[in-house]
Amino acid sequence: MLSIRNLSATVDATRILNGVDLQINAGEVHAIMGPNGAGKSTLGQVLAGRDGYTVTDDVTYDGADLLVLTPEARAAAGLFLAFQYPVEIPGVGNMYFLRTAVNAVRLARGLPEYGAVDFLALAKEHMARLDMDPSLLSRSVNAGFSGGEKKRNEILQMSMLEPRLAILDETDSGLDIDALRVVAEGVQALRSPDRAILIITHYPRLLGYVVPDQVHVLSGGRIVRSGNSGLALELEAEGYGPTFAGQSGGATSPSIPLDAVPTP
Amino acid sequence: MTTPSLLERLVPPEPLRGGNRSSSDSNARARAWLETNGLPNARDEAWKYTPLGDILSATFDAASEPTPGSIDVATLDALAGDHGGTRLVFINGLFAPALSRDRQITPELVCHNTTPSSTDPVGVIDPPSPPVADRTRYDGFQALNQLASHDGAVILVEADTRVTEPIHVVYLSVPGHTPVVSHPRTLLHASANSEVTLIETYAGIAGPALTNAVTTIVVEPGAAVTHYKIQAEGAGAVHLAHTSIRQAAGSKVRSCSFALGADIARNAVDVVLGGNGANVELEGLYLPIATQRHDSVITVEHAASKCMSRQRFKGVIDDHARGSFSGRIIVQPGTTATDAAQTNRSLLLKPTAEADTRPWLEIFADDVKCTHGATVGRLDSEALFYLRTRGIAERDARTMLIGAFIDEMTEAISQPTLRSQLDAAIATKRSSGTPKNDALGADAADNGPAISPLGAST
Repeated sequence: MLSIRNLSATVDATRILNGVDLQINAGEVHAIMGPNGAGKSTLGQVLAGRDGYTVTDDVTYDGADLLVLTPEARAAAGLFLAFQYPVEIPGVGNMYFLRTAVNAVRLARGLPEYGAVDFLALAKEHMARLDMDPSLLSRSVNAGFSGGEKKRNEILQMSMLEPRLAILDETDSGLDIDALRVVAEGVQALRSPDRAILIITHYPRLLGYVVPDQVHVLSGGRIVRSGNSGLALELEAEGYGPTFAGQSGGATSPSIPLDAVPTP
Repeated sequence: MTTPSLLERLVPPEPLRGGNRSSSDSNARARAWLETNGLPNARDEAWKYTPLGDILSATFDAASEPTPGSIDVATLDALAGDHGGTRLVFINGLFAPALSRDRQITPELVCHNTTPSSTDPVGVIDPPSPPVADRTRYDGFQALNQLASHDGAVILVEADTRVTEPIHVVYLSVPGHTPVVSHPRTLLHASANSEVTLIETYAGIAGPALTNAVTTIVVEPGAAVTHYKIQAEGAGAVHLAHTSIRQAAGSKVRSCSFALGADIARNAVDVVLGGNGANVELEGLYLPIATQRHDSVITVEHAASKCMSRQRFKGVIDDHARGSFSGRIIVQPGTTATDAAQTNRSLLLKPTAEADTRPWLEIFADDVKCTHGATVGRLDSEALFYLRTRGIAERDARTMLIGAFIDEMTEAISQPTLRSQLDAAIATKRSSGTPKNDALGADAADNGPAISPLGAST
């Protein structure tokens, strides 16, 4: 489904990605781990269509060149990025935003748009599953939301936009145990043979709920190691440090113990 | 050009003014002022951002006397809206009784046209004696309005009267073959503890027109005035407006201005908080596109203690347009517990758009809380990207973000009919995108503002 070959990305003359190779097939869940500064978030942003990066070499999605598409065309084609830091947009109502997004994507996919009443019912159903306060619909997008509310709002968007390739950028950061479980269930519910999920994370905890088919270590802008789900636990025990020290500026960051997980 | 000829050219001959108006003293004062000072020129700080050359040529191109014009009710409603209550309509500076509507005339409320022959009901038709020495707060256009005005609206609210429906005053420019000029005057006198809403709409058909408006709002102790000014003049129009607000103790004023139309528009508001505990909120939204120029020139004078003032102005500036905000706060000596705040936020939608912002604080007292802040920015690229990653097309995402910026101002309109009318007018204006005369815009921007020799001759 997604094929990345020798992807490099540069911003302001700083090379952040330096030859990433990654193949994700439909039905698979991949995890990318790695120290701070390794380029994990950049990978997600580049795939979603963030400008400002000079990107070289090819990324195909469903066999077509992904990098020539606008961000909205990528969304219509089924790509979704859950942001590490969801953007606050004061003045734009969450409900209006969600409906505009879902209908835009449905229109592009040749599906009928939702009317206001049907959409509200559907949104509330999804929110109930994510244990979200329905009043968040009438607030501005992410404005004044707690960390956990923002992350749930990302998962709400993901579940309503029905992507075929979902990229979760540190969606598990800043969540308490209950929120993590709810978010994990939301991700797990999306899992299906025709969909793929790429989880960018620091912690193996989410991977306990959504067990990946493959785990990759990104360091110094490259994938330096790949393995099965057991690799996540191995990294948890050993850290990135001993294996990869010296390979990237960010690799000095030691392993992060579970009890350091910040709570909202 | 000498100033006598300036007067001869701009001011209609005396007989038009009618007979025994109590304003003859004011006329003499205005005439003397104009003879001495002339019209504003490039050295006047208060006119720094406004393209005076174009305004002066429009002033001299226009006939000095009102040109009758007509319009049907449907067009009037489309241009100015209908807010249910009393509506006084003026076309090209002349009262249009057939289009006007008196709905609320009671002994407590007087709304009528002031014709040259009508007598001034309570002697407040003339604004307070202008601070003649201060060119930043009184100018030749106000003097010209005093001398050349024909009809205008007078609204007198008796003490302790609560007027529930808004009073709507509409000034339309309907240009014909020749440029039209109007010098409308509006007076609102809110007596003690009264409450009233005034909506002023300036609109028109496209074509060469000059509107030089003066509005005076006198607010007695404890009275509350809500004032909306909608500037939706037609393309080709020049709009100059000066609103003086004089507030007594414990009075409250909320005055909101919305600039949509005209080629060049300058909206000046001058507030004097003259009694303790007076409170004023001034808001403004300007949305210039193409080569439009929208300027706001605000003065708030704290002349008494425990007064509060708020200025909140926002601009969305597109294409080659320019928008400016000058916000002046004066705190007079001897006052205490002053609370003044001012913000100006501008959104530039194109690299060719220009925003100017100028706070101007003159604080002569110690017990003052005064804040001001200004931002000029572009659409938030993070927010734009976020929306687009959710499948929302770039154009729609931009519209959403611009709408959010604007809605903050329109949401504060308490009059529902006005809010929906404005929302629709803004949506129409914004969705029209870059107007057809964009090529013209590029030319004009290259030429830069022209200052006429007349402007510098005084």
